[in-house]
Amino acid sequence: MSFEPVPQRPPHLSQTGPQTGIAGAESARSARGALTISSLDKSFTISGTARKVLDGINLTVRPGEFVSIVGASGCGKSTLLRLIVGLDDEYTGEIRLDGERVATTSLDRGIVFQDHRLFPWMTLEQNVELALLNTDVPKSRRAQIVADHIALVNLTGFEKAYPHQLSGGMAQRAAIARALVTEPKLLLLDEPLGALDALTRVHVQNELQRIWMQQRSTMVMVTHDVEEALYLGDRVIVMTPHPGRIRRIVDVDLPHPRDRRSPVLHRLKDEILAELTAAPTDTTDDARGNLVLLPTREDR
Amino acid sequence: MATAPASFLPSGSRRPGFKLGPLPQALVPPLALFAVWQLACLTGLFPEQVLVPPSTVARTLARLAASGELERDVGVSLRRLLVGFGAGALTGLAFGAATALSRWTEAALWPLFLLLWQVPVIAFLPVLVLFFGIDETFKITIVALATFFPVALATFDGIKSVPRAWFEVAQVYRTRLPDLLWRILVPATVPAILTGLRVAITRAWVVLVAGELLAADSGIGQLMETGRQLFQIDVVLAGVITSGVIGFLLDRCARALEARATRWKDA
Repeated sequence: MSFEPVPQRPPHLSQTGPQTGIAGAESARSARGALTISSLDKSFTISGTARKVLDGINLTVRPGEFVSIVGASGCGKSTLLRLIVGLDDEYTGEIRLDGERVATTSLDRGIVFQDHRLFPWMTLEQNVELALLNTDVPKSRRAQIVADHIALVNLTGFEKAYPHQLSGGMAQRAAIARALVTEPKLLLLDEPLGALDALTRVHVQNELQRIWMQQRSTMVMVTHDVEEALYLGDRVIVMTPHPGRIRRIVDVDLPHPRDRRSPVLHRLKDEILAELTAAPTDTTDDARGNLVLLPTREDR
Repeated sequence: MATAPASFLPSGSRRPGFKLGPLPQALVPPLALFAVWQLACLTGLFPEQVLVPPSTVARTLARLAASGELERDVGVSLRRLLVGFGAGALTGLAFGAATALSRWTEAALWPLFLLLWQVPVIAFLPVLVLFFGIDETFKITIVALATFFPVALATFDGIKSVPRAWFEVAQVYRTRLPDLLWRILVPATVPAILTGLRVAITRAWVVLVAGELLAADSGIGQLMETGRQLFQIDVVLAGVITSGVIGFLLDRCARALEARATRWKDA
């Protein structure tokens, strides 16, 4: 497998037509992975009372785009991903992928969870292959496709390793391989690096950028790390909680691969952080209230 | 990754619990016990008929083994254990799975199960004797009963504790029901069920020996009971040691199997 950033998909899954060179790939790509969300509302009923977690979400993601979503916990960003992937389909409004309304799960939409969710009794290879069980991919070709995707996430040599034998970063890369092996039009990433230590995080961020440049599927990543969101995203969606709303959409007009030291990224980071921390929402008020109370408790 | 992958592969990893475990220090307490026992006999504090010295028990054991008596009785008991355990394990598995997989059956059957589970199996013996007499059916039934409860409980808990997250993964990849069952649900519940089977087989063995003591014409328990009636305490103690050793070996074998089947758990 070549590691140069050529936006071409391995042709093992059904494609719209025969691909001839870059132009063919371009046209195939433009037909894949366009996500449209319009006036999406979602409520949970907690002990009798309905609580709105997502309120009037409108968002269009272009095919092949990398979109990051940041926001404080409770802004419904993970709920949004669960709705898009189809694990939860109680909502009002519309979610469409390439024009088709989302109902239940589909192999067109992959997801990587915060916990890698690899099955501990399966080797890395078997875990990745599990995703292909219910596909048209001929059995004779599966091994090669699995090997290609393990190579894509730089885990060649660990095919026979069990999840407990992998480090946190390796397990998360394995989960990415499993999610990509079905060639989904859209890959959702739900705080995929949230459980990793700072150094591993940076490493897997670089890997993720390389994989996305090589793969060019549409990716939507939820994170609470503004820097990570900016480093990877073509656009960053800033959400505020209670109820979850889109507050701002930031265009990150920098080519990939990016330089972490870029002044643009740092300026945007300060702006977004200011936006997130200045927002006078219920929770921050509560938090402040608690903070004021604490010293008086200590005085007693 | 530049690390040598070989070091991560399971081939070289140890298999805990696979050895039978007779470390040198494990032999000290039993040997000390035998020594104290032998010394107590030498003091003559107890009548010889009541406290038989271990040397005599060992001789009796050798005699019983040589005559083929021991082999026959142990064989009979183990056959009962095998048949009863098989029947109890299968029904326990089926019952546990059926109750865990449906809300309706759980609500209907589980409370009664939990109530009966609190009753010691031995307490059923008099009633079972009335129903089945003291023939093979009786002994196999008590073994099956002693097996059924721990296996059903372990199966139920095993299935109930499969994380929701794993079902979600299956949902995302549109895994078909047979694959979901064989590749996810079964491996996820196997560790719990194996623990249940291990608890069950040792428990079943204890109950079987007790049942044979009460009512039987053959088997290791009957050997002990006959010895008691003829006041051959050496025969009784030979039976005690034999049943203890067999129970111990059953447990070790079950543990080894368990460790082997859940090798992927080793951290």
